[in-house]
Amino acid sequence: MTIAAQQSMRMRLPAWLSAAAFVLFVAGPLVWALSTSLKTEVKAVAFPPVILPDPLTFQAYIDVFTHKTFAIELFNSVLYATGSVVVALLVGLPAGYAAARFHFRGKNFLMLTILATSMVPGVALLVPTYYLLDSLGLLNNEFVIIVISAARLAPQTVWFVQNFVATVPVEIDEAALVDGATRPQILVRLILPLIRPGIAAIAVLGMITTWNDYITVAVFAPDTLKRTLQVALVNQVFDAVGISWSYTMAFSIVASIPVVLIFLFAQKWFVAGLTAGTVKG
Amino acid sequence: MSAGFANAAAAWLRSRIRMRARNGGDRPWLWFAPVLFLLLLVTLYPTAFVVWMSLHKTQFFQLTAFVGFANYFDLLTSTTFRDISWNSILYVFGSIAFVLPVGLFAAIAFDALGKVGAGLRVMALLPWTLSMSVVGSIWLWMLNPTFGPATYIMKSLTIPTGLMLGDPRFALALVILATVWWSFPYVMVMMSAALQSVPVELYEAVDIDGGGVVAKFRYVTLPQILPMLGSTALTLAILYLTLVTLIIVMTGGGPLGTTTTWSFDIFRETVTAQNVAPAAAASVIVLIVNVILGAVYVRLTGRVSA
Repeated sequence: MTIAAQQSMRMRLPAWLSAAAFVLFVAGPLVWALSTSLKTEVKAVAFPPVILPDPLTFQAYIDVFTHKTFAIELFNSVLYATGSVVVALLVGLPAGYAAARFHFRGKNFLMLTILATSMVPGVALLVPTYYLLDSLGLLNNEFVIIVISAARLAPQTVWFVQNFVATVPVEIDEAALVDGATRPQILVRLILPLIRPGIAAIAVLGMITTWNDYITVAVFAPDTLKRTLQVALVNQVFDAVGISWSYTMAFSIVASIPVVLIFLFAQKWFVAGLTAGTVKG
Repeated sequence: MSAGFANAAAAWLRSRIRMRARNGGDRPWLWFAPVLFLLLLVTLYPTAFVVWMSLHKTQFFQLTAFVGFANYFDLLTSTTFRDISWNSILYVFGSIAFVLPVGLFAAIAFDALGKVGAGLRVMALLPWTLSMSVVGSIWLWMLNPTFGPATYIMKSLTIPTGLMLGDPRFALALVILATVWWSFPYVMVMMSAALQSVPVELYEAVDIDGGGVVAKFRYVTLPQILPMLGSTALTLAILYLTLVTLIIVMTGGGPLGTTTTWSFDIFRETVTAQNVAPAAAASVIVLIVNVILGAVYVRLTGRVSA
């Protein structure tokens, strides 16, 4: 063995051990959740804890899927996640395009306003928003939830779209203008197809954000028929006496499957979205 | 002659179009109108309104009288608020103190393992994709004082477990544990990106000077990744400061209020709605702290949006 190879071996052993420790740290709770979800309700609370389910049963999953409010909760989760992304893109695309292409007085002020709104945390607006919605009779309204969630995604959407459009050569726009195209036509027919991967990344991140959100729905639409999978999950945990851990873990896994699938298929975009533009160039 | 004229005309037309392109026609702000309308309605108006509310006396959700800064005065002098502030600071700084080294260490370990490491890193990202409700539920079950495997392992090692999340001595530390588990992948991704941008020549220079692993980390890695470490810490500080769901699920602010942070308190006051003026004042305080952190972040990164 060469000295270099020996050295790299010596370097790699601690790396392997640390990596193994991290995998254990990450996988431990996930494996425990999966294992519990495949146990019977009684076996789930055996002590000392047993890792392999015996007997192995899918009863908890059957219970989750056949619960009478499951379908409506799933529908609401999908509705809010897709609705908020669609609205955020509808308002964010023109603004992001204009931010990248136009130079006019007051643009900096507009962009600063959008930036400022992104710094207002959702939790600080719980009290006033609840008050306003209550006095307008707009609590428990699906459309309101979509609009609020879309506003959370909007600043980031504008910023992302601006960056994506900036990568497209401005000559493309100019050539189309010479040919008599209007700006909206250029955005929809030329720019949009070119920045489609970027749009997909925004959509993925936005959908995961809204899908995973608990607070907005729990506070502004607590009605049984308006709530999401996340809200239903937390409500089970609140019921400390009647809780069935195999059911709750099965529910947690079912509620996570869509985001985990999206993540696995789109993990490149996911990582790119996280790291995009975080350090001064 | 005519070719020259055509060229000149084309150039003039192009410059006109370029000017129109730069200015975005007569009403460029129209392109911003939809997003501004949305943000005005959902973010800016409620922001102004919460400031207005915080200057009033309230009964349930009714504004009864203008009282100026009385709510802030009451809040800042109350012992409850002092405790809650302390919890918030402990939670935010405690989580950051653990999540940064854990995430950085994970990035270094996985980066050293090439292709296998890259695969493992994808797996290690999983917790970050899960919702706080799911993460809270899983950890609540892990830490169950009677049946949980964490309790079992601790008991086997004769570590006192008490009531775990029900124990005022341990609750905040255990919420921090779950927070670190959930968010260290974010640090890992950021640090991986930062590590990969460190020029290899710098490490070679340390080799030539006879420096070891420690010297490489101290004099090359750390200074190179420090800006990214700072911006990551700020992003997470904002996240932790405004985080509610994990605390709702794991402890509900208890036991004995030891995990009640500013944001959790605001949530509880909103849903119980006894007297919302103090919660409105607390909202404004969280808002101000958040904007300060956000402004520092923008100065640090030059990024236009959080």
